[in-house]
Amino acid sequence: MPEIDIQHINKRFGKIEALHDINIMVEQGEVFGLVGPDGAGKSTLFNILTTLLLPDSGQVDIMGMDVVKDYLQIRQSIGYLPGVFSLYPDLSVQENLAFFATMYKSSVLDNMSLIKPIWKQLLPFKDRPAGKLSGGMKQKLALCCALIHKPKILFLDEPTTGVDPVSRKEFWDILKDIQHKNVTVVVSTPYMDEATRCDRIALIQNGNIIKIDTPNNIISNFRGHLYTVKMDDIFGLMQLMNQFELTCNYYPYGEHFHIAFYDEVEKALPAFERFLQDHGRQYGEIKPITPNIEDCFIELMQMS
Amino acid sequence: MRIILMLIKKEFLQVFRSPLLMSILIVAPMVQFILFPFTADYEIKVLDIAFIDNDNSTLSRQLIEEFSSSTHFRSKGMIDSKSYADQLMKADKIDFLVEIPLNFEKNVMGQQGTTIAITANAINTVKAGIGCGYVQTVIGDYLKETAENSGMSAFSDNAQLFTTNIYWYNEQMNYKNLIVPGILVILVTLIGAYVTALNLVREKEIGTIEQINVTPIRKWQFLLGKMIPFWILGMAEFIMGLFLMKLIFSITVQGSIPVLLTITAIYLFVMLGLGFFISAVAENQLQAMFIVFFLFIVFVLLSGLFTPTEGMPEWAKFINYLNPMSFYMDVIKKMVLKGCEFSDVKIQTITLSVMAVILNTAAILSYKESSK
Repeated sequence: MPEIDIQHINKRFGKIEALHDINIMVEQGEVFGLVGPDGAGKSTLFNILTTLLLPDSGQVDIMGMDVVKDYLQIRQSIGYLPGVFSLYPDLSVQENLAFFATMYKSSVLDNMSLIKPIWKQLLPFKDRPAGKLSGGMKQKLALCCALIHKPKILFLDEPTTGVDPVSRKEFWDILKDIQHKNVTVVVSTPYMDEATRCDRIALIQNGNIIKIDTPNNIISNFRGHLYTVKMDDIFGLMQLMNQFELTCNYYPYGEHFHIAFYDEVEKALPAFERFLQDHGRQYGEIKPITPNIEDCFIELMQMS
Repeated sequence: MRIILMLIKKEFLQVFRSPLLMSILIVAPMVQFILFPFTADYEIKVLDIAFIDNDNSTLSRQLIEEFSSSTHFRSKGMIDSKSYADQLMKADKIDFLVEIPLNFEKNVMGQQGTTIAITANAINTVKAGIGCGYVQTVIGDYLKETAENSGMSAFSDNAQLFTTNIYWYNEQMNYKNLIVPGILVILVTLIGAYVTALNLVREKEIGTIEQINVTPIRKWQFLLGKMIPFWILGMAEFIMGLFLMKLIFSITVQGSIPVLLTITAIYLFVMLGLGFFISAVAENQLQAMFIVFFLFIVFVLLSGLFTPTEGMPEWAKFINYLNPMSFYMDVIKKMVLKGCEFSDVKIQTITLSVMAVILNTAAILSYKESSK
């Protein structure tokens, strides 16, 4: 039996269809990523999974329990880290932890094992008001509070948004560590690079799931032939590209221009080069590259 | 039980750590008690008075002298013409004009009737009304005295009727006695509705309510965990108010204190319920503040603190049946000043209890809707 079984979930807010026929199965013990741009429906889905919001239709089972009927038992066995810091800023680190431990009918001492590595880092600040902690420390405290009752599943809604790259890496190491302690982790993120750290990911866009697979499978299933070229006026080229006849997919990628060809690469590549010369563009070497998860996401979005 | 105790502990920790809230809880009642009764005072301290003496006799001069010796009046002297007096009154220089007619002394001594014209500046109706009474008293007292001194049997023989008023339950007609218990009501209302609503909306604003919602605690546990601390604070505030009342104004509760505390406890539950309900409706602290402020003003104006409810039009009286503050104000006045028994305030107590049940039920239901 899957740990989380989501079947045909729909949710509307007025005229906006926030979620459309969502079907996901999350296995026990995996780190499952929900990847998509802002407004894709990630938070709505999270709110349904954490029993905060009722779906319009469909069925969600969490460890065999129904999110609508058995919400109290589910709340006892899941942990939730909301997107925004939401602990009491005027209570100290220790008081916040003790408070949430009690809310889950457990105590700080009973459940130290799961949070010990994180708690060690917080220990020097245990009497500081939570509102006066640094961003990274706040997040670690929030994580401790979400784990204090030894949940079987941990939900994290965009935990790394607005966090610096070093702290982000550290945070993912912590998540892996939690996974090894037999906790299923469901995490949403708008960052593509983080998606590769998940065991499996679901790509979500405009309330639709467009792909669920392991990051490696998604990358190896990239259908086009991807090339990168460095150039100055990418914006100018973007506007010209509609004059290029062959089937391709193109987008700016930092200082580079990415282009994926779909048929007859032998012909397409020289044709592209000629196109650039005809329009008098300055450009660097056109190199074939292995697609990363972001390239795959863009391709999947274009195709759906 | 452990959960509710923890919620209460958390609430108290937060209250004691918030310098703003603490100062509101401690300083606000003091300031209200010290400032409010003196500003909302209808007693007239000094009235400016001028005279037109057409008689210019010994008796008339003595009468004018009498006004100068009164602490309530400040004599602005003699005026020649009525038109000049009008000008002075328009310029707000004088509040009263006393015009003594020609042959005043002669008529009084001859035991014939006489008329003294008193003109009052009625821009401030309260001042004019009460002042007129003072002026009449001074004139009456003086004439009585004169009659007695001169051995005239005039007034006594003619079976003169002197009216004396006794104000029951507030013998000196001291307005502080009316206002101060009203402040108690305002205090309890503010703690109950205002502080509670703001506190709950703040949880919404900073997102902690979401973190609480994912825990398995029940809605009623959460609301009880909010209610008990603010109920305790409200009761503490009320008791502190009773002490301040005794200390500053020497007003002691005439009725039974246990009954008064019980009814206050019920009233607090009404206000807590209202606060919860508002917090369920409001999105942020600003909205909550406006709603409470609006209701508060309506409640106070209709409550009978400043003007007696009996004098209000029928529709206002009807609205007052929905105004918990007017019931409680009634109870407070009856218990503190009159020394009423529980049986005298039974209806108010029952009404408040019903209101408490309705508002708290509404609050719990609306909280269920707004989350789960």
